[in-house]
Amino acid sequence: MSICEMNVRQVAAGVREKKFSAEEVFDKCLERALLHENKVTALITMTADTGREQAARVDERVAKGEDPGPLAGVPVILKDNMCTHGIRTTAGSRILGRWIPPYSATVWKLLSSAGAVLFGKANMDEFAMGNTTGSSAFGPTSNPWDLSRVPGGSSGGSAAGVAAGYTPCALGSDTGGSIRQPASYCGVYGLKPTYGLVSRYGLIAYGSSLDQIGPFTRSIEDMALIMQIIARHDPKDSTSVAENVDFSLPLGDKDGSIGLKGKRIALVKEFQGFTLDPPIADAMKRMVLLMEEAGAEITEIGLPVVSRYAVACYYAIAASEAHTNLARFDGVRCGLEAASASGLKEMFEEVRSKGFGPEVKSRIIAGTCLTEPVRSEEYYVAATRVRTLIAAEFQKAFEGVDAILQPVTPSLPGKIGEVDEDVMKGYESDLYTLPVNMAGLPGLSFRVGYTSARLPVGLQLVGPRWSDKNLLDIGFELEKVLGVPQSAFDTAACNTTSFKGGN
Amino acid sequence: MTLTFTPVIGIEVHIQLKTKSKVFCTCSADYANDPPNSHICPVCTGLPGSMPVLNKAVVHQGMLAGMALNCTVQPTTLFFRKSYYYPDLPKGFQTTQSDLPIAANGWLTIKDDVGSPKKIRINRLHLEEDVGKLHHSAPDGRLEGADASYVDYNRSGLPLAEIVSEPDVSSSREAVEYVTALRRRVRYSRASDVDLEKGMMRFDANVSMKCSDGRWGRKVEVKNMNSFRALERAIEYEIARQRKLMEDGGEVLQETRHWNDAKGVTTASRVKEFYRKFIVEPDLPPLVVTPEWIKEVRASLPEMPGEKAQRYVKDMGLSEVDAAVLTDSLDVAQYFEACVAAGANPQRAGNWVRTEVLRAMNERRTDADSLDARPDTLAELLRRVDGGKLSTTVAKSVFEAMMEGLSLEEAVKKSGAVEGGVGADAVGNLVQGILKANPDVVADIRSGKDTAKKVKFLQGLVMREIKGQARPDEVAAAIDAALALK
Amino acid sequence: MRLGSEDVRAIAAEARLSLTDTELAGAVRYINNFLEMVDRFKELDLTGVEPFCFAESNVCPLREDAPEVFPRAREILADRADYLTSLFKVPRIMEE
Repeated sequence: MSICEMNVRQVAAGVREKKFSAEEVFDKCLERALLHENKVTALITMTADTGREQAARVDERVAKGEDPGPLAGVPVILKDNMCTHGIRTTAGSRILGRWIPPYSATVWKLLSSAGAVLFGKANMDEFAMGNTTGSSAFGPTSNPWDLSRVPGGSSGGSAAGVAAGYTPCALGSDTGGSIRQPASYCGVYGLKPTYGLVSRYGLIAYGSSLDQIGPFTRSIEDMALIMQIIARHDPKDSTSVAENVDFSLPLGDKDGSIGLKGKRIALVKEFQGFTLDPPIADAMKRMVLLMEEAGAEITEIGLPVVSRYAVACYYAIAASEAHTNLARFDGVRCGLEAASASGLKEMFEEVRSKGFGPEVKSRIIAGTCLTEPVRSEEYYVAATRVRTLIAAEFQKAFEGVDAILQPVTPSLPGKIGEVDEDVMKGYESDLYTLPVNMAGLPGLSFRVGYTSARLPVGLQLVGPRWSDKNLLDIGFELEKVLGVPQSAFDTAACNTTSFKGGN
Repeated sequence: MTLTFTPVIGIEVHIQLKTKSKVFCTCSADYANDPPNSHICPVCTGLPGSMPVLNKAVVHQGMLAGMALNCTVQPTTLFFRKSYYYPDLPKGFQTTQSDLPIAANGWLTIKDDVGSPKKIRINRLHLEEDVGKLHHSAPDGRLEGADASYVDYNRSGLPLAEIVSEPDVSSSREAVEYVTALRRRVRYSRASDVDLEKGMMRFDANVSMKCSDGRWGRKVEVKNMNSFRALERAIEYEIARQRKLMEDGGEVLQETRHWNDAKGVTTASRVKEFYRKFIVEPDLPPLVVTPEWIKEVRASLPEMPGEKAQRYVKDMGLSEVDAAVLTDSLDVAQYFEACVAAGANPQRAGNWVRTEVLRAMNERRTDADSLDARPDTLAELLRRVDGGKLSTTVAKSVFEAMMEGLSLEEAVKKSGAVEGGVGADAVGNLVQGILKANPDVVADIRSGKDTAKKVKFLQGLVMREIKGQARPDEVAAAIDAALALK
Repeated sequence: MRLGSEDVRAIAAEARLSLTDTELAGAVRYINNFLEMVDRFKELDLTGVEPFCFAESNVCPLREDAPEVFPRAREILADRADYLTSLFKVPRIMEE
């Protein structure tokens, strides 16, 4: 097996056991990335020099007999909205210019002190607003499985990087599906953890009450390993929870068979009335059968408020929070500047009008509009009340249920550059992902198989708050049947299952 | 019929709460004299990705200040983001409690324009962060011709409490009374140093006018007053301006106006300011203060000046004027009380504290807590005066010496005073000496020239010689006796 | 159309965005569609429903009042501040 096909634990074990050096790992990954990056464009910044230096330090530790950490020499891609000290961080926007953060996000501090090595900063929709990675100021990213298609978004670069085999894992952020949807499009695992489980300190905020950082991996055990490291209470994030959730291995059923005995898996009644692309509908059917066979009890729950109001509620809250989060980009302290502006207002307007892309501007205007004193009660405050109903509806639904099985998206990845004329209809397609953020729930996006045209097909498990580990347990059982996701450019891929009616 | 106008005024006071670090980050709150932008971090400069963490001491000081103003502490409150764009506001929003404040429904009593007590209601005290400082001069200090303004974020993120009164104030004089009382009480609580010169207390006023013909003028927010005098002048100016407008049949616009202290005028703000837009601060969960914590803070709140002064008058027989002087600041009041507790006569102690002690504090530019002469020693000194062992004059020089760090005994010694005063023999000897040294004066007395005046002169010489350690009548008797002997 | 071009231009100005005519036309469409979407809330009876602020009833953590210096303050200045004065320069603000 080539190093690039290895998972996180295999790489770390190899480095620790001196089967290969961290530098060797880094160079192999770099080689692979250089081979594909001109087609995929997963990264905004490739951190070849700093990364190799970090790898060399890991090797030094190994040589000295010191503990290099559980992620020894594992190259990691970070979405470019996570601050990295000394390394340009853009959030996919022009407005940050060549800003170099004077500090690192907590997640990166945790990963690097566990021995991880920075591989690059991933492309993303500008300020995480989008679901194609097409709104990045640095151009679109391609789906490694079909270069003409989008990788999803907003963490499209992170998903594509892992799918293309640059690195065995990456971090993304998920405000309304931005980890789970690209994970699904790119055929890798993506976990949106329970809100409050992973520190947001150093994450350039979009919708602060919705944002959550999570990993992309090609194995469930890797997912648990990364979570074990990053799910830590952070005194710098006041919304970070004080308790730590245990993600230690082993996962799942000890006897090795596919065991979902006693797990109560629910389908959402209202969702079944909506149209899905045939391969996704097929995957749902197949997964229900598989889970039943594995001993799970399949039930049905109703989420009427979620189904009808979640999308509107989400966009109202996300836009309202976003317009305040983006107010700091004023050209004074960092990023793009308007040196010749004649006055304050002119400076603000020049910087912001030049620096933000169209989708970001639209959402800033929407957020400004909804929170105007004359409309605030009617829209912003109303949305926060609807959100209470949504969270309550989920809480009630989970009373007799361990997890909900549902699609991630209604359709397979579209073509790059295809513009949806009706933006709001595009928003509707987020119905399966964003309610999870509204209620602060964990959601695991996992690959089920591939279409005949070699496009990955994924589904999602959603659990009650703090059930992240349980989702990984279920995922681990399913992985025994579904196999581990492959890298897109490895020939062995796609032999598992294919779905009829695919693109 | 002539029209009469009644001003309706509400006051907003910003005070800087006394803490070691800023409200949402660990940068030091003490940046005086340090270079610009030396006390900054990602949080207080609003860098992308940074998040606030609330300082416990800010909550404590906010509760304390609120209690000092008779407010009720609210057990659960929330922070909001108040959005507007200005370069000194690094995040583009101010994190503030605004309408869900830590303390609410307080009041202060002042004297109205005819001297009767008047209650000024306090709507709320809420916590928020300060903004950075703008410098409008060129880096070399030039003010004129500078083509740019400059921002320093050292002040950004300092903890503030905004205290909003109800519109119960009716004149500029009442406004000054209100803020004076407020300042005194807050200083007592030790929630803030409320040092006006250091910008720790700033004022805005909402001024409107009610006309006897039933017309109401709109509310004008006057901002940017940094001293009592500025507050007074700004309100006076605004009252006159609005009154004139209404008398001329014009209309007062609802607007924000800035007080220009140099020119003594208010001018309409050019920017559409305080376009109040709020969302919940999603990065800070609700602030909850437990009943135990509230109780603890309340227990640490000292007796307030008004209550103290009343007690001094009632229990110690002090005059209202003396009581007011003694209670003006807590350190002095505590010094006085300690002195009384150590056995000093309250009236004598009161006299001494409000003259000698305050003078010593002024000369040394220090507070009563740091004076070398401690209240118990002063009490001992005053006991000796009362017991006739030391004259007031000597006691003052003894006290002066104690201020230089000497103990009571050392100070007494240094002043040359003899414990227990100078005995009758010694006085007799001294008088003899003085008479010998001034034969011409003695001759004049004997010849009957200005006898009374000359005797007084000799008496003064003797008193000076014995440093006031004898009673004047004793000395006079000794002189008479000596002259009679001759 | 709930909001016309001038309304949207004013809202954009509030957010310190100046829009080209094409952008403005797009924004007008967008914001009206957006309002139509969120108008759905009106179907619900929200009386007595508390606003949702936080995922669960967690309490604001409080930090001890211990100053700690951010060691890289100079790096914060690196991007934009004036090198000699350490101040951030903005266009001249006229006295208000």
